[in-house]
Amino acid sequence: MNGALTAPLPDGVTAAGALAGKAALITGAARGIGRACALTYAGAGADLLLTDIGHDLDGVPYPLGSAGQLAHTARLCRELSPASVVATAEADVRDLDAVRAVVDGALDRFGRLDILLNNAGIAAPSGKTVHNISPDEWDLMLDVDVSGAWRMIRAVGAALTGQRAGSIINVASTAGLVGYRHFAGYVTAKHALIGLTKSAALDFAPFGVRVNALCPGSVRDDDAAEGRMLSEIARSLDVPVAEHQETFLAAQPMNRLIEPEDVAGAAVWLGSDASRQVTGSTVTVDGGFTSR
Amino acid sequence: MNDTGRLCQALALRLHCGAESERLRGNLARLANGARLWVEEIPDGADSRLAEVRREREMSRPADPRTGPGARAVLLRYADGTEELVVVAHRAVAEPYDLARALLGEAAGLSVRPAEQTAEREAELRAALAELDRGPAPEWGLGETGAATVGHRSFAVPAHAEVPTEALLRAALGLVLARCTGQSEVVVGRDAEHSVEFSAAPSQTVAEYLEVAGGAGPGSGRAPVVGLTVAPTAEMISGDGVKAEPFESRPFLAPVHPMSLYLAGDGSTVLSGSCVHRHAAFGDAAVEWFTGMLTTAHRALVTAAPDTPVGELSLFDDERRQELAELGGLGQDLAVPRERIEEAVRRRAERTPDAAAVTCEGETLTYRQLDRRADRYAAGLRGHGVAPGDRVGVCLERSLDLVVVLLAVLKAGAAYVPMDPAYPGERLAFTAEDAGLQLVVTRSESFPRLEGVLLVGPAALDGPGRARRGPGQPRDSGTPPRVSPDGAAYVIYTSGSTGRPKGVVVPHRNVAALLAATEGDFALGGEDVWTLFHSSAFDFSVWEIWGCLMTGGKLVVVPYWASRDPAEFAALLERERVTVLSQTPSAFAQLAQADRESRITGSVRLVVFGGEPLDTRPLRFWLDRHPERDCRLVNMYGITETTVHVTAQTVDRRAALSGSRSVGRPLPGWHVYVLDPEGRPLPPGVPGEICVGGAGVAGQYLNRPELTAQRFVPDPHAPGLMYRSGDRGRLLPDGRLEHLGRLDNQVKLRGFRVELDEIRARLLDAPSVTAAAVVLRQGQEADTAGARLDAYVVLRPEVADQARTGATEEVRQHAARFLPAHMVPSTVTALPALPLTPNGKVDAERLPLPLEGRSDGAEEEPAGAGDDVASRLRAVWEEVFGFRVGLDDDFFALGGNSLLGVRLLAALKAAGMPGFPLPQLYLHRTVRQLAPLLAQEGVSA
Repeated sequence: MNGALTAPLPDGVTAAGALAGKAALITGAARGIGRACALTYAGAGADLLLTDIGHDLDGVPYPLGSAGQLAHTARLCRELSPASVVATAEADVRDLDAVRAVVDGALDRFGRLDILLNNAGIAAPSGKTVHNISPDEWDLMLDVDVSGAWRMIRAVGAALTGQRAGSIINVASTAGLVGYRHFAGYVTAKHALIGLTKSAALDFAPFGVRVNALCPGSVRDDDAAEGRMLSEIARSLDVPVAEHQETFLAAQPMNRLIEPEDVAGAAVWLGSDASRQVTGSTVTVDGGFTSR
Repeated sequence: MNDTGRLCQALALRLHCGAESERLRGNLARLANGARLWVEEIPDGADSRLAEVRREREMSRPADPRTGPGARAVLLRYADGTEELVVVAHRAVAEPYDLARALLGEAAGLSVRPAEQTAEREAELRAALAELDRGPAPEWGLGETGAATVGHRSFAVPAHAEVPTEALLRAALGLVLARCTGQSEVVVGRDAEHSVEFSAAPSQTVAEYLEVAGGAGPGSGRAPVVGLTVAPTAEMISGDGVKAEPFESRPFLAPVHPMSLYLAGDGSTVLSGSCVHRHAAFGDAAVEWFTGMLTTAHRALVTAAPDTPVGELSLFDDERRQELAELGGLGQDLAVPRERIEEAVRRRAERTPDAAAVTCEGETLTYRQLDRRADRYAAGLRGHGVAPGDRVGVCLERSLDLVVVLLAVLKAGAAYVPMDPAYPGERLAFTAEDAGLQLVVTRSESFPRLEGVLLVGPAALDGPGRARRGPGQPRDSGTPPRVSPDGAAYVIYTSGSTGRPKGVVVPHRNVAALLAATEGDFALGGEDVWTLFHSSAFDFSVWEIWGCLMTGGKLVVVPYWASRDPAEFAALLERERVTVLSQTPSAFAQLAQADRESRITGSVRLVVFGGEPLDTRPLRFWLDRHPERDCRLVNMYGITETTVHVTAQTVDRRAALSGSRSVGRPLPGWHVYVLDPEGRPLPPGVPGEICVGGAGVAGQYLNRPELTAQRFVPDPHAPGLMYRSGDRGRLLPDGRLEHLGRLDNQVKLRGFRVELDEIRARLLDAPSVTAAAVVLRQGQEADTAGARLDAYVVLRPEVADQARTGATEEVRQHAARFLPAHMVPSTVTALPALPLTPNGKVDAERLPLPLEGRSDGAEEEPAGAGDDVASRLRAVWEEVFGFRVGLDDDFFALGGNSLLGVRLLAALKAAGMPGFPLPQLYLHRTVRQLAPLLAQEGVSA
């Protein structure tokens, strides 16, 4: 049975919205797409547990989401939606125990979990032809981008199936749909994530739990969200950011880079009951890039 | 199902003196296996809307001991300095109030249940929930199967100075449950593991009942569908410099029972309660009516004199009662012309004199011809002494003459009493006598000769008749007498529960109202071509004949054989360009079968179903070939006593797919009530007796004042009478009616209304029979044509020793002498005794299946050396009947009828065997007789 004992809410700004009363766990929430999703979720009335790694990783050539950035995301969410409970926790998705603790914490705080947004991921180390990738680089990419999502799903599975309700959203990429030169590890990981999505969707369907993949195209580095994916990709490819942006812009039929909010809008829809018959699907937010 | 919320409780406390969060946090961690205190800063005051939302959210979050500590405390700090504590705890772990006291330092001794005991207790509680959930959702709850959501509704009741809140509310709940379930023993849940059971019998006084409900003992194990929890007033907690005042408590966070009610007995004068319900079991509308009845019952218990019988307490206030009546269609205006049937037909004849009115097998009458011929016949009737207000028997096959004669009877100011020539003589005689007939128009040679009953053929009416004038009566002047639309138009005999058919007297104005109510919606008019498919003794024919002729359409009389041969009937529909078709579902099923074999390319734009319950599912195949935009299907529920139809439901693809049982809303001018056996109203969803008021109510049974007074009673909401139908049904919240069969054991068989008790009475008339029972057995998979009546008799000992078949066949033949063919049981089985229920009623479930086949020793019987045709024919018979058949078994005695005859022909065709003209079956009724006929034909390719 779904549904807590909730009196109907009168009209008002508080807690109205597509995700009112739902509890969501968002990984990689310190900045970028994760932050944009957290804010949109809060605005839609959800209670949130936000996580990020909180420190840098050896082998990843750019700084990862910090504890300060995570706290800032939480603060922004609380300001936007005073009706939402917003909690934070630091966790490395490569650590099975840490992942377990985060999920238990969410269940302890909220009593239930409605949405898992698997957003944590790394884009680099990249920039090498496939035979030049080192075993450590390969393992790290898959450990974070695929196995990290699997660890989260593993940890929430019992609670979600027990509730007979829930939505899991795996943030993949257009790199899960097409190949990119010099990004074999990332592309492999994101393709695998879509495969994981489809299989998990079938496993959970009898329990009313949905699993979908969200595939953003090239997302603009946004100051407010402190996103830096595009810059890091450009750096991996050793091209100027402006030139890299131009290349992608030219390849996007809509002729615009994707904004973090564009991705967040799709994430709200996938998390809400409006998409109640959508599972195992791949929702692409790429301005038509992969339709060519 | 996630049960955690059902097993958790929540408590909200306002902290009056500052509680230090660090100390609380420490206390909590010590108390409850690592339970955490969460501190939330709320950027608004404690009375704000935001505070309400945040508090509600915390009160709603379950705590699962399987994944965590099973308890939680949240300290809400508001911008105005107010502090609140919300404590949630699973029942297996602790009571929130105890936990709050310990947390605040009042009772240091308290501890929560140790982990291993918690797990055990949690499993017990979950098992209790599983037990609760085993009960099916109550049908009257109008739940949505499979829905996972929960509804919520608030209600308020006044507190009572003397009766404890829980006892009073439980008593009110008992009255509502008794009304909704129809059982006076009610069970009310208390929590997952406990319930109470008590009697809400209507004869108790209010004082007695309150005592009974208040002191109710534990339930006997029936799973309660409704639970009631009244939370006690919680005391202020004080300790360690903290003062905390509990102000809201929840005994569960999700409904424990399909519907769970809770109320805090907090000492206020008006107590506000909550009703939470699973949509899978209770729809929002049903709950709205339920809580309305609950508060009304509560008020009634408080205000009524203590010696009032509880059965007299009203569960609906005046406003609700009116709302219910309007939901049933009361108050829909209908303008009915003050016009008799023949006047309406005359008006058509004046407007379109040359339009075709009636046609039968190539012969056609225009409206002018019909009107004139009927005038002549009316004069003939008057010539035979018929006067306004008389009743004239009409016993004719469907024909042009039938229509002319019926119209002529009306023109003579009389009412017609239709009789089917196929009915047995004794029934015809009974009807003629009961209706006091002095004249019967018939061609039947076998119509019984009765003292004082003149039989004339239709031809005898065309011209001056032999006058039966009394002294002083003037000879027919040729001038039609002035008569009123309030006069009777026809008297139709229906099966009676006393074993005696009864005549329903229907006035002209009712038929005018029926057409006024349907003409617009069905767009009936001069372009329409109707069929007259049904016997004039079946009131569906009233709709067919007068519906057509009063709206200017053309009536195609369907000859008997075409009505029994679906392929022939389909051809007639095409040939005659029929637009309006009225059918019983059984007959239509045959037609639809013919349509599947050879598509009817026709003009039929409206199919009206009537006469028996409609199974909508098979209609989707028809809709595949004949989409709704071309051909509208309308299911109409009706009763002879309320003038053919009562409600109309258009059956669209959605209804067909869902197998809807809705018969729709009442026609304008008609209204329905659903009442319990005491005549008290029932809310939507709850089944009871369908009672019909308004323009169609016939008003009387002929010469049966007692029965009339029983069945036609004053309408509680409108002038006039309402008819108690004896049909079981329920209203839906949107005002549509569901028809759920008969309250007694009257059944519909192939479109005929059959009172099983009437057949039983006939069987008991047989000298050899001491006890009898009759059951209707459906064919395989709702095959209505395969339905048959099986009778069981206990024979007198001296007869019982005789050959069984002979004795039972005698009983059957005895019944056949009085009963029409469709009421004669297909099988009669002799039993040493009838199986009874503990209550002493015949236990129909335990009646054995009848002997398969009629001839004893059917197995050993050789078919005759080399008689291949006979054995193949027998195999086809067995396929059609579904049981073993002897070579000398009579097709009709086995339960065969014309529908099965058609099926037999189809089966022969499928088996590659030659067919034969269907009427031959009446001449060659056994396999042995029929085989040579087929052999002559040769085996077809």
